Amino acid sequence: MKPLNYAMLKYFTRVNEACADDVMAALKGEYSHFKAFNKGDMIAAIMTAEANGLLEETRFDMDSNKELRVYYRAHEEGAETINHYIKD
Amino acid sequence: MIEASGSEHLVAVAAKKKLSADFRKKGILIALFSGLCYGFYTAFMTLGMSKGIWADWYGANTAGLSAFTITFLLGALGAATTDTCSAVWALLIAVVRGKLGDFFRCLKTKPGLVMVVGALIGGPLASTAYVVGLMKAGSIVVPISALCPAVGAILARVWFKQELNARMMLGIFICFLASLMIAIPSLGGDAPDGMFVGICFGFFAALGWGFEGCVCGYGTSMIDSEVGITIRQVTSGLSNLIILVPIFGMMSGDVNTLGLVVQSFTDGASLIYFALAGLGAYGAFMFWYKGNSMCGAALGMSCNGTFSFWGPFCCWIILGVIFGLDGWSIPPIAWAAAVVMVIGIFTIALNPLDLLKKKEDM
Repeated sequence: MKPLNYAMLKYFTRVNEACADDVMAALKGEYSHFKAFNKGDMIAAIMTAEANGLLEETRFDMDSNKELRVYYRAHEEGAETINHYIKD
Repeated sequence: MIEASGSEHLVAVAAKKKLSADFRKKGILIALFSGLCYGFYTAFMTLGMSKGIWADWYGANTAGLSAFTITFLLGALGAATTDTCSAVWALLIAVVRGKLGDFFRCLKTKPGLVMVVGALIGGPLASTAYVVGLMKAGSIVVPISALCPAVGAILARVWFKQELNARMMLGIFICFLASLMIAIPSLGGDAPDGMFVGICFGFFAALGWGFEGCVCGYGTSMIDSEVGITIRQVTSGLSNLIILVPIFGMMSGDVNTLGLVVQSFTDGASLIYFALAGLGAYGAFMFWYKGNSMCGAALGMSCNGTFSFWGPFCCWIILGVIFGLDGWSIPPIAWAAAVVMVIGIFTIALNPLDLLKKKEDM
């Protein structure tokens, strides 16, 4: 089992793009019992990864609950860095 | 690549702008708070080292410790006691926050090992270089060590391609000048022989802290900052206790190092203050890493650099005002330096053209 943040970053290397809800849905099975497995912490972790060039924003919209939904992706260099530091 | 879809374009754009602005504001506040925590860490460690058995070691010295032992071994022991207390805090908080499992999982990985290396370089190595620098060259080493944000920003530019433009470099320089202003009252005829060597040690400390801030800040983009700080404090506490203290013990000659360690960790009168210092150190380094990872090394480390002001400020409040000890008042120039620091931080954080643009938008 990987640390939660690692699993989250690795997920972005496997999909074209994802928002926090997508990440949570994908990791729910293994990580839902983690205290840090909440939307606020996940968004902060994703934005921190973006601020450090691991991820980039692709688009944003409002979801059906009128909440902002931002999509990110791991660009080539970001994915390379993530895969270099975090092994499967 | 950035676009909003659907009929709620404007609402989405406004919400997105707010999210980005809030994230940046939070990063700056966290980095500033790390400087304040550093101030409390310094004040409580200084207080701990003036109470109980420490009052005897530094005062009457009934144990007959040599000048070398008092300067270097006790300095390292004080840091080791504080860092070990901080490691205990970090582990306890990790347990409460359910992150102990991730702490062990991260330790075995490449980012975890990078954090360990950063902690070793920024912890025992840079701290020792700083102490040796102070002994060799006097207080000129204080502002020299405050070059660490510049070092961190340059390393982050080279290694992690973070932004570093002329305006940000000017801001870092202004913050450095503010640290120099705070050190001015203590500068003077206190430079013994070997000043150049001492300055080199001071610069080494700046390199070490710059490296740590840059690398571990980036590391917390992969590792949770609370897990990262647990790795840092456990590494720093153990390495201080197992490596640094014994080395200084051997260099001190005929001294019972283990006896001093046991006394330091069992002296109730001082340990309570070391425990508080450890909590301060936990906040100082955790928020330092987190702030750096949220707003970049240049801005994060400069905000953290406000510890040059918060250190004397917290010492004044805790040692001077609360405990009534003499010699802890803040010189007026430190207040002026605090204003200069704020100007420096604003220079790094804000592009004047953006402000003009906002006015035009209104």
